[in-house]
Amino acid sequence: MKNLDSVFAAYVVGWGVFFVFYLTIAKRTSNLRAELDRLKSSLPRAK
Amino acid sequence: MSKRIILGAVAILLVIAAAYAAFFIAPEERTMGLIQRIFYFHVASAWAGFSAFFLCFLGNLLYVWRRDQKYDWLAVSGAEVGLAFTTVVLITGPIWAHPVWGIWWTWDARLTSTFVLWLLYVSYLLLRTLVEEPDRRALLSSLFGIFAFLDVPLVFGAIRWWRTQHPQPVIMGGQGSGLDPTMKSVFFFSALAMHVLMIFLVAERYALEKMQTETDFLAREVEAQ
Amino acid sequence: MSLFSNTAVLLSKELRTEFRSRELLTTTVVFILVVLILFSFAISPTTEESREFGPGLLWLAILFAASLMLQPCFLREQSNDTLSSLRLAVSDPFSIFLAKLIANTLFLLLTELIMLPFFALFYNVPILPEIHWLVLVLFLGSLGISVAGTALSAISAQARMRELLLPLLLLPLLTPVLVVSATVTVSLFEREPIVKGKGIAFLAVFDVVFLTALWLFGEYLLEE
Repeated sequence: MKNLDSVFAAYVVGWGVFFVFYLTIAKRTSNLRAELDRLKSSLPRAK
Repeated sequence: MSKRIILGAVAILLVIAAAYAAFFIAPEERTMGLIQRIFYFHVASAWAGFSAFFLCFLGNLLYVWRRDQKYDWLAVSGAEVGLAFTTVVLITGPIWAHPVWGIWWTWDARLTSTFVLWLLYVSYLLLRTLVEEPDRRALLSSLFGIFAFLDVPLVFGAIRWWRTQHPQPVIMGGQGSGLDPTMKSVFFFSALAMHVLMIFLVAERYALEKMQTETDFLAREVEAQ
Repeated sequence: MSLFSNTAVLLSKELRTEFRSRELLTTTVVFILVVLILFSFAISPTTEESREFGPGLLWLAILFAASLMLQPCFLREQSNDTLSSLRLAVSDPFSIFLAKLIANTLFLLLTELIMLPFFALFYNVPILPEIHWLVLVLFLGSLGISVAGTALSAISAQARMRELLLPLLLLPLLTPVLVVSATVTVSLFEREPIVKGKGIAFLAVFDVVFLTALWLFGEYLLEE
C-alpha cells in the first residue's frame, strides 16, 4: 500500500477545500440574512 | 430552497460514491499503483472547474448582450466556484506528482496553464472588488472575463507547443492513449459527480449574490428615507 | 472609410501629444534599461547563460514597461474629461481604440529599437544576422501587448487602485505572448529556424484574436 498517505491527503485536502468554500458561502449568506432582517425591520418604522 | 437541499444531498452522495468507485472498483494501475487513484478526483475536478469557468464566460457574454443582473450573478458564481475547483486541481496535482516525479512542482504544460487560468480568474474577482457601482462592475468584469476566456486556449497552446513536451492526455488524447474500460467508466462517473457538486455550489453562490443585490437595494432605500 | 480617416486624425493627436513631451518614451526606455541591468545583477550570468536567458528577461522587461506605459492611455482622457467628446466626435468608437493601440505599438517598438543595441551589448547576443526576424517578432509581440493592454487600460481606468490593477489584469493575459516571443527570440540567437515560423504565426493569431475581440466589444468599454 505504497503512497496511501498521499492519496488520502489528496482526497482530504480536496474535500476540505470544497467544504471550506461551502462554509464561506453559508457564512456570507447568514450574515446577509441578518443584515436583510435588520433593514426590513428598520424600513416600516421609517415610513 | 428545498430544491437546493436535494441537489446538495445528491451531490454529496455522488461524490462519496465516486470516491468509493475510485478506491474499490477501479483496477490498480500497473506502473503508478495506488497513487493513480488521485487521477479520478484530480482530473474530474479539473473538468468541472473548466465547466464552471465556461458558465462564467456564458454569463459574461449574456450580460453584455442582455444587460440583466442575473447573468452577472451567474458569472461571478461560475468564477468563484471554478476557482475553488482549480485550487483543488493545483493542490492535488503536486500531491500526485511528488511520489511519481519526485518533485512537487514542475513547469509542465497542463500544470502551468491551469495556474495561469487560476491567476486570470483571481484577477477577475479582484477587478470586481475594485469597482463600486454594480452596473459598471458587471459590465467591466464581463468584458475582462470574455478577454480572459479567449486567452485560455492561447495560453494552453503557447505553453504546450513551446515549453517542454509532456505525456499526451489519457482521455480523448488521440490515438494510442487509452484507459481500461472500468477505469474509464469510473472516471466518467467521477466527472459527473464533480459536475453535480459544481452545479450545486454555483446555485448556492448564485443565491448568495442575488441576496446581496437585494440587500444593497434595500440598504439604499433605507438610506434614502 | 470614416473609420480610417477618424483613426488617422486620432492617431496624429496621440502622436503629437506624446512627441511634445516625450514623457512616456523616455521613462519607458529608462525603465527597461534599469530592469535589464538589475536582472544581470540578480543572476550575474556567464556569456552562455546570458544568451539563453537574455531574451526572456528582455521580454519580461518589455512586458513590465508596457504595463506601466499603457497606464495613462485612458486615464489621461478621463482626468481631462475628453473621453465623452471623443465618443461623440467619431462614428465608430473602434477608431479610438485603433488610434490608441497603433500609437502604443509605435511607442513600444520605438523604445525596443532604442534598447536593442544596449541589450546586445550587455547580454552579448548577436542581433544583426537575424535582425529582420527580430524586428518582426518585436512588432507582432508589441502589437499583441498593445491590443490587450489598450483594452484593459480602458477597464482599469474606471476602477479603484488602477495603477496596481492594470499590471495584475494584463500580465497573466499576456502569458502566451511572453512564452512565444521569448522562445522565438532565443531560437533566433541560437539559429534554430524550426520554431521561428510557427512562433510568428502564433503571435499573429494572438493579435488577430484580440483585435477581433476589441472590435466586437470595444464600444462597451467606453460606455458612460
